[in-house]
Amino acid sequence: MGCPCALHLEADSVAHAEHALAAVRAEVARLEAKYSHYREDSLLARLADAAGTPVAVDAETANLLDFAATLHAQSDGRFDITAGRLTRLWDAQNGRLPTAEEIARALATTGWHRLEWRRPRLRLAPGMRLDLGGIVKEYAADRAAELCRAAGVVAGVVDLGGDLALIGPHRDGTPWRVGIKAPRAPERAAARIELPRGGLATSGDYERTLIVAGRRYSHIVDPRTGRPVAGFASVSVVADSCLIAGAAATLAMLLGVAEGGAYLRELGLPHLCIDDRGRMSGDLVFAA
Amino acid sequence: MSASKRPSPSLSLLLAASAALVGNRSARADEAAPPLQSVGYRFHVYDEDAFPDRPVIGSPQRYHVDSQQLALSARAGERETLTLNAVHEVMSGSSPWYLVPGPDRRPIQVLSGATIRDHRNAIDVALTHDAGGNDTTTLDVSYSQERDYHAAAIGAQRSVPLSSALTLGFGGSLSHDRLRPTDAILYGRIERAEKNTWSTFGSLSLVLSKYAVVESGLQLTLQSGYLSDPYKLVTVADQQIADTRPDRRGEAAWLVRYRLAATARASLHADARLAANSWGQHSVTLELGWYQELADGWRLIPGVRYYAQDRARFYAPFFDHADGRYFSSDYRLGAFGALSASLDLRKRFGHWELSAGAERYHAATRYALGGADLADPATVSYSRLFAGLDYHFD
Amino acid sequence: MRPESRARRLWLVLAAALLGGCAATPVAPWERGRLARWDMGWDPDPLQAAMDRHSHFSKEGTSGEIGAAGGGCGCN
Repeated sequence: MGCPCALHLEADSVAHAEHALAAVRAEVARLEAKYSHYREDSLLARLADAAGTPVAVDAETANLLDFAATLHAQSDGRFDITAGRLTRLWDAQNGRLPTAEEIARALATTGWHRLEWRRPRLRLAPGMRLDLGGIVKEYAADRAAELCRAAGVVAGVVDLGGDLALIGPHRDGTPWRVGIKAPRAPERAAARIELPRGGLATSGDYERTLIVAGRRYSHIVDPRTGRPVAGFASVSVVADSCLIAGAAATLAMLLGVAEGGAYLRELGLPHLCIDDRGRMSGDLVFAA
Repeated sequence: MSASKRPSPSLSLLLAASAALVGNRSARADEAAPPLQSVGYRFHVYDEDAFPDRPVIGSPQRYHVDSQQLALSARAGERETLTLNAVHEVMSGSSPWYLVPGPDRRPIQVLSGATIRDHRNAIDVALTHDAGGNDTTTLDVSYSQERDYHAAAIGAQRSVPLSSALTLGFGGSLSHDRLRPTDAILYGRIERAEKNTWSTFGSLSLVLSKYAVVESGLQLTLQSGYLSDPYKLVTVADQQIADTRPDRRGEAAWLVRYRLAATARASLHADARLAANSWGQHSVTLELGWYQELADGWRLIPGVRYYAQDRARFYAPFFDHADGRYFSSDYRLGAFGALSASLDLRKRFGHWELSAGAERYHAATRYALGGADLADPATVSYSRLFAGLDYHFD
Repeated sequence: MRPESRARRLWLVLAAALLGGCAATPVAPWERGRLARWDMGWDPDPLQAAMDRHSHFSKEGTSGEIGAAGGGCGCN
């Protein structure tokens, strides 16, 4: 998944733990191969190649598309998985700023309205590329936690680059103490909270960040302007699943400080927002 | 109400949309929602004002009804809710029989000598399927039974969001009613009769702003069968004959409802209705309510209502000549209007909610739509008291 | 003022409110917290509403509501 991943388990035996670990490895590798933004043999790459013709997708992809459709509606069009060409332009791996012409060309192939989605048939507009950033890593964390539970391991945490899915509380029933990443120093925790179950996800401008001449350009791009959003440095959300936490955090990043804050309060999910000057807001501030 | 514990509207949408991917089990598998959601009980005392003048025959005491309601709401599946509403009523008192012209042609009320004592049992079961995102479908079955009256009804309604701001509602119902009037042979009443009621509605509701929503709807109703009142007589050319109405009635009602979140702790409800039927009646209804939340779980809800109707084509307190096919002197078909005021007080403590309130309904011919030449002495005012206790499980 | 003309004026006001609403800016889902409040429902207490309607229905010559109508009753 292109990020440091960790699995913390409490199991009855090493055999149990290894069984669960193998299942998690296989699942994360499967999802990475299927939905990676970078790999040229992924399902997303094949869908991009088939752009212009309708393709029947599998049930898992259909469920992800339905979820993305809800996020698109809820963010007033700002969460848009069709922005794959745009997010590639702003990716750190490019090492340079895109030109206005490149942005205009990418914008021409971006937009949920240009995509035809009628389960199970998907038709991308010619040149369009999907980017499931903000939901697929979080979904993988939830899937991994579910597989651990299915393998009989009920206490543990799946950590995919700071996005956490709880398998379950410690075996004595106490919650796990988990850290919320600090945007400018991801190796350090901005806050620590106790979590027995559910998920914690952080969306921030520190991942896949393009830095040119000392300026940071977030990989979170507003599909209406084609430019990275300015606002929060990071948003962390706690929810029933890592998927919901990640979606809420990404939407809040896209909506910006005022609207994003209002959205998180309306959702009623515990959250911590950090702006570009390091100022914190949200109901998890006490944990900092 | 424990609304604050339920997910917010946007979180509900996220949960529903993610359910196919991750289920919602990671969340609260160990604190599964209880199947029973709420139980409610209400007691109502309805009391009509006595006739001001001592009637020619019978007691001046009019209707008195004690009603008890029991309601249950339970989860019946992943997305289904079952609600059950049972009513038991005990009615007593005497009801208007017919009118005769007095010395100055002022109508004088004649009551049936008998004091009625009856009870009614009714049950209503509704199953609602919530497809998420305000898309709901409800199926409804009800049955009401009295000694002389049985009614069975089925209904269905659907609510579909058309856009993020606009929601379409539509539905219909069918009621089949059977009458077997008491003492039919003794009084020469119809022995048995039936009537059917078809009703359909369509509505649109619109989110106006962060604070206001409005809904407008049209309901059409068609009744056929025996629509007269078997217990009422009417004076025609100094003779009393049975209340005789057409065997069909079509009715249309246009409604507008408005809700305004006036403050963070109060809201305004404004409802209006225009109705007309094929018997020549028209009516206007206006209703205002104010829902005020107070400290410590108290809530105060004052309301006012205005209603005015004109008379049916074949209504008169009495008829001098027998020209025409239909005759009725039922005050409900006459011209009158009513003003009513109500006050409801609620107190929430934990899962419990206690409510108590009163309504005063004052009817008079002078409030009638378009005025009325003769006041019907049967036009009735009433007082109502109610109290209830609800328990919410979540 | 005769009741009819009073009623006509009211409907004009309501129609204006409806038309005004169509031009209103869209309300985002996260701005709908107030609209989702219990007291903002069409019938916040359906049990009470059913009883209110029953009392009025049994006294008045006309009726009508938004929603599927219930069954008949000997009271009317």
